[in-house]
Amino acid sequence: MSLIKLVNVTKRFGEITALDRINLSIEDGEYVCILGPTGAGKTTLLRIIAGLLDPDEGEVYIEGRPVNGVPPERRNAVYMFQEYALFPHMTVWENVSYGPVIKDWDRDRIDRVTSEILEMVRLAERKDAFPHELSGGMQQRVALARGIASGARILLLDEPLGALDARLRVDLRTQLRSLVKDQGLTAVHVTHDQEEALMIADRVVILREGRIEQVGTPHEIYSEPRSIFVTSFVGGANFVEGNVAEVGDSGSVVELRGGLRIQVSKRGRSIGEKVVVAVRREDVTVGTEKVTGSNNILGMVGSVLFIGGSIEYEVRLENGERISSRILLSDAPKTYRVGERVVVSFPPERCYVFPYPKAGLLKEIEAV
Amino acid sequence: MVSKARKPLDLSNLVVWATLGAFFTLVLLPTFYLISYVFLRWNEVRVEVFENPIIGDENWRQILKVLFFSFRLSLSAVAFDLIFGVPLAYILARKSFPGRTLLEDIVTLPLVIPTSGFGFSTLITWTTVAGIGGFLGLNSGLISLNALIPIINVPFILFVVHVALTFPYVVRTLETKFQSIDVTFELASRTLGASSLTTFRNILLPLAIPGVLSGAVLAFARSLGETGATLIVSGVSTTASIAIVRWASEFKLATASFMGSLLVMIAWAIILPVEVYVGQRGRSLKVPYRMPRALHDRLIKFERFASKRLSRIKDVVPLAVVLTTVVIPIIVVLNSVIRYWSADPYTGKVQGGVLYQLFGPSNYFNSLLRATLTSIIVALASTYISMCLAVPLAFIIERRWYGRIIRTILKVPMIIPTSSLGLSVLLLWGPGGFNLAHPGIWLIILTHIVFSVPVIVESIIAAYEGSGLQMYEDSARTLGATPYNAIETVSLPLLKGGVLTGFILSFTRSLGETGATFIVMGRDVTIPALVVNMVEALAISAALFTSTYLIVLSLILLALIRLLTRRR
Repeated sequence: MSLIKLVNVTKRFGEITALDRINLSIEDGEYVCILGPTGAGKTTLLRIIAGLLDPDEGEVYIEGRPVNGVPPERRNAVYMFQEYALFPHMTVWENVSYGPVIKDWDRDRIDRVTSEILEMVRLAERKDAFPHELSGGMQQRVALARGIASGARILLLDEPLGALDARLRVDLRTQLRSLVKDQGLTAVHVTHDQEEALMIADRVVILREGRIEQVGTPHEIYSEPRSIFVTSFVGGANFVEGNVAEVGDSGSVVELRGGLRIQVSKRGRSIGEKVVVAVRREDVTVGTEKVTGSNNILGMVGSVLFIGGSIEYEVRLENGERISSRILLSDAPKTYRVGERVVVSFPPERCYVFPYPKAGLLKEIEAV
Repeated sequence: MVSKARKPLDLSNLVVWATLGAFFTLVLLPTFYLISYVFLRWNEVRVEVFENPIIGDENWRQILKVLFFSFRLSLSAVAFDLIFGVPLAYILARKSFPGRTLLEDIVTLPLVIPTSGFGFSTLITWTTVAGIGGFLGLNSGLISLNALIPIINVPFILFVVHVALTFPYVVRTLETKFQSIDVTFELASRTLGASSLTTFRNILLPLAIPGVLSGAVLAFARSLGETGATLIVSGVSTTASIAIVRWASEFKLATASFMGSLLVMIAWAIILPVEVYVGQRGRSLKVPYRMPRALHDRLIKFERFASKRLSRIKDVVPLAVVLTTVVIPIIVVLNSVIRYWSADPYTGKVQGGVLYQLFGPSNYFNSLLRATLTSIIVALASTYISMCLAVPLAFIIERRWYGRIIRTILKVPMIIPTSSLGLSVLLLWGPGGFNLAHPGIWLIILTHIVFSVPVIVESIIAAYEGSGLQMYEDSARTLGATPYNAIETVSLPLLKGGVLTGFILSFTRSLGETGATFIVMGRDVTIPALVVNMVEALAISAALFTSTYLIVLSLILLALIRLLTRRR
């Protein structure tokens, strides 16, 4: 049985539908990331699970029991705010022991649990400090400790790493995950950072404009994106428009602008259908010779960008389209200069084919 | 299935209804009763005001004359406040210099000093030999009590008192507004080539216009309702609020209440539109008019010149205003108490000395002790009761959809002229109305509650907003706290500063209130009312001592406010 279950949950704020018929099950002990751009409804979803908001329609179940109308203090789900909401008038110790004290546990148990958890987050020495005396990273740990100490089984994390600086944010990802896993907790973690979500989660839920676009393991989300939006939001890609020209057993042929033809291994499209082909930048190589078994297109280097360990080329194809390629520096036999003539290659099995969106291609990509 | 809507924090309905009920009876009813009284007894009013068998409509003509005078006085005082208050507020908000907090305190002083004491200080400073006149070697005061300022035809001394008492409203409101405006707008404008004055005109002022308006409204209302100091310095002129006091004491209740209602309604007609305008978020001033090019160029050139050459003036003149209107009177009164201690320094008579008047046959010391006791009981009782009402009320305002409406209604008792308020309470709860209490201490407490509740509510709300309280409470809730746990362990401790500030503001206000108290006090005289009585009985030295006493008392309270609001 799932620990948290949402059935057809809908929430509106005036004219705006923040969540539209959300169905989602989260298993006990799972680490789930809710990933989506700003305004997708991520926080609303989290607040509904916490009981800080009530859905307009639909049901929320926790441990199999319907919790609509059940106040937050009786849901066993602690909400951690991006700003941590550490009570400024209480010390670290008082903050962490707040849940146990308010739940009236006996004195010994409060002391034991609080000191254990403070030990665990390496803040035992700062137990008498006030929140404003701590660094951002420490405050984050206090907030986490406070949530765990309250005895809640569910952690609802709203951008838990968002208020930290970039370096710390990356360092703390794995720590956060292992802490949750060690304690046997279930976490729902809201973020707009796709890298963070892919790295930390057992499962990722992609939310867009109040709807779930895709649910899957990080690997599934990255390698089998189900829409243009997901492809573009997670990992990013080159998108080109075309029409299906041939449908065969091993794949199809898509004719691009200017009569260029490319092989794709996906099937299930009918001849003449307008489609969008997506190729991830890291699946595109740039060379001087054609690669057998790949699509090879001639072009000219338009720009070269160095991104730390890799190089990104933007190549102008003979039909005027542009394709970007990202190559690890260690894999690059030589670097090309702007204006050099090159061959762009990408294997047919790395091409995703989507039906052409009704609202236009840009809308799907720019929403990110 | 549609789930029932649940507020973030359920205040049980009982608390809400009890609070709203008490709010209605103790605050709203007294505020609006005066107007309904005029309608209910229209016949009486008509006969007394318009068709008096002996004097005809003389009372009506009096009312018009007094109203016209009052508005002239209040408008000119506010205009003066704005001209000098805007630069001062800017300096306080943007510059840091040694003595900044001291200056802030001095500007705030007239808010906490009981007005009758302050009025008396101003009176002796300008019109007697003990003040500036004597200092300059004259045998009389610098100006006579009834000397008029040309053009606006308002007595100089009355004008000075009203400016001093309303100045803080403009300066403090604007200071807060300026502080809330990001300084980067100004920096951007400066780096784009505008002089500081041009920047001020084009960027800061339009953004600050809500602050200008609400400061002006508060100042205007304060001036219109001011009674304590006005009673002392008015001389032969009569403002609307002291006319009410006089007529009420002559039992011309119909005339007084008609005048009071007029005052309330006219004040509202001016204030309400401004409140509504300011209440809308993100307001700024847009002027559709475009200046002719040549004129605009010259203005810019002038502003560039003025920014460079005349910036001292902007620093110095407002300071001079504060010094002459606030600091000098206080110094003069302190100095005079010492000089008049044992005898009148000019005639040498011991009868004119502080000691004789306090302990001599008239025994003012006894009255002072009694008045102190009355004042403190009134201030404590009314503040305590108001507190019990204001704390839940502030939560209702923040949490319920109708909170905004309540908050707007709460502005009424804040701006209602206090003598109108006193009259209203007298008519409502006094012997002529529900007969709940005779004029005396109980009626004073009931009156003070009316203006104390909004004062406390406003300071709690000020602490509430920007505190992120909702987040802390939500956090406490998901950690297992019930709504009441959360309020008790998180919200109230976080709002402590606001609650305490509200307590002290309300206490000081109650301690210094004169206008309303004068009407409802009966024989239970409070300290500020005692000062007025002393001045009327020409017991100048006793009045000097009592004023000093009041000023020192409020300075201590002001220091307390500082201490409480600074601790973070």
